[in-house]
Amino acid sequence: MPELPELNPVIHGKLRLALLSLLAGVDEAEFTWLRAKTGSTDGNLGAQLLKLEEAGYVSVEKKFVQRKPQTLYCMTESGRQALTEYIQAIKQLLGAAIAQ
Amino acid sequence: MLEHTSEQDLKDRLSLIEQMIAEGRRTTESWGWTFVLWGVAYYIAIPWATWGNPAIAWPVTMIAAGVVTGIVASRQAGRRPETTVGRAMMAIWVGMGISTFLVMAALGSSGRLEEHIGIAIVGAMLGAANATSSIILKWKVQFACAIAWWAAAVSSCFLSENNAGIVFLAAIFICQIVFGIYGMIAESRKHKASAGREASHA
Repeated sequence: MPELPELNPVIHGKLRLALLSLLAGVDEAEFTWLRAKTGSTDGNLGAQLLKLEEAGYVSVEKKFVQRKPQTLYCMTESGRQALTEYIQAIKQLLGAAIAQ
Repeated sequence: MLEHTSEQDLKDRLSLIEQMIAEGRRTTESWGWTFVLWGVAYYIAIPWATWGNPAIAWPVTMIAAGVVTGIVASRQAGRRPETTVGRAMMAIWVGMGISTFLVMAALGSSGRLEEHIGIAIVGAMLGAANATSSIILKWKVQFACAIAWWAAAVSSCFLSENNAGIVFLAAIFICQIVFGIYGMIAESRKHKASAGREASHA
């Protein structure tokens, strides 16, 4: 019997999963846009994005636009790979659950 | 932790991924106002060139409209995520704008620009840009604008100068002013729907 896949614990957090999925649909996104789409607080959002950054799944760019600070997040290639593998793992687990 | 993930939870997660990816792609950019702005710019340039100074009327109004578009667009860009579709749209319109400006400026300064040629070039360029955008966005109304611009471009080759001018003015009104206002209304509806979804997520 084939071994069931492990779910990546970095992506498994619901907010981190939502963030990575949001970033998968755009080239880059600002912190405020991610906050509006997820309905999260600044502190929680910042902490979860930091975890994704530490894992190498997102990259951050900080700049000033019209003298206002702007933090832009972008999904990295390894982030895209990790999300793809996570989706495949979920589908495999669901397939195994249906087969039982 | 992961061992306790239930089947329903896994389904919820798949649905969350699909929902969030779609949310990012659905991000709408507001461009309806640019059609109205450029329509107004044409309406300022045409009488100015006809009864005033044609040598400066078009360059001044076109550069002014370009600067206003650039400033407002850069302010909007900070609030929305950058998408591939958004960049494709920008590429089409910037490319079309620069090409048209260069050709018209060269024809004007060489003294070889006449009304039929001017309308044919502008109509063909705007037709191409509207058609390309409409195909990418799957927006039939914009493709109708492309057809109207092509019709104006082709008819200008056969009509008298006065009639070609009237057709051009009509095309500006329909494809810039009316379509721009229609686009702004459609964008406003999309933003309201999007705000509703965000409220439900929160």
